[in-house]
Amino acid sequence: MPSSPQTHTAHSYLIIARSSPYGSHQARAALDLALTAAAFEQKVSIVFMDAGVMQLLKGQQTDAGEMKNIGKIITALKLYEVNRVMVHQESVDKHDLDPAGFVEAVEVVTSDDIKRLIAGADQVMVF
Amino acid sequence: MKFSIVIHGAPWSANASLSALRFTEAALDCGHEIVRLFFYQDGASNGSSLCVPPQDEIDIPGLWQALIKKHEIDAVVCAASALKRGIIDKAEADRYEKNVESLLAGFSVSGLGQLIDACGQSDRVVSFVM
Repeated sequence: MPSSPQTHTAHSYLIIARSSPYGSHQARAALDLALTAAAFEQKVSIVFMDAGVMQLLKGQQTDAGEMKNIGKIITALKLYEVNRVMVHQESVDKHDLDPAGFVEAVEVVTSDDIKRLIAGADQVMVF
Repeated sequence: MKFSIVIHGAPWSANASLSALRFTEAALDCGHEIVRLFFYQDGASNGSSLCVPPQDEIDIPGLWQALIKKHEIDAVVCAASALKRGIIDKAEADRYEKNVESLLAGFSVSGLGQLIDACGQSDRVVSFVM
C-alpha cells in the first residue's frame, strides 16, 4: 500500500503549461497538479507557453457543468499559494496577444528566464 | 538512484506506457530503485483488469502487473483519473454500486498527493507523456 503523503523538505516544482485550454485535458491536469503540490506546501511555479498562453485569455465561456473554466482556475492559483505565475514572452508575441487581456496580471518571462527556471527546479513537469 | 515514473498514456493509444514499462525494466536491471509508479490521466487505463487484447498483440497492463509483482513495486493509479475511466477497486465498486471491480491486483487507487510524495522521496521523477 502507498504511504500517506508525508512532510518532506519542500521541493520546487516548475509546471510548464503548453496546451490550449479546451483541446485536451492537459490544461486541467497541469492546474490540478499545481494546486495539489501547493496544497502539500511545495514551492510551485507555473509558466504558460506555446498554445498554453491561450489559457490566460479573459472572457472564456464555458457551459457550467460541461467543463470547468480554465481562466477561473488560474485566478485561484495565487490564493492557493502557487508562488509564481508566469507567461512566456515569445509565445505571447507569436499568438499576437496582449497581457492586458489576460484573466489577471502575470509575470512575463523570456526563453532565457525559462532555461534558468528549468535548471533551478527540483521537478519539471510539462503538460 | 531512486526513480519514480509517471505514466500519462493509455496502453494502446500512446507509446508512453510501453516506453515507461521498458524504462522501468531497464532502471531495475541497472540496480536502481523504483519508489513508485504513478498512473495519471489516460495512464489509469493501464490498471484495468478488463482489457482483452488480441492474442497476437502485446498485453501492456499484464506486463505492468507482472513487473509490479516481480519487483514488489508500489503502483498507484490516480483516483480522480481512474474513477471516471471505469477503473475501480472493490471498495469503490461497492460504494458506487457498480456490479464489477476492474482494478488489476497489485495496483492501488490513491490521490494526486501520492505523486507529490513520490517526488519528495525520489532522486528523479520521469514522466512519459506522449
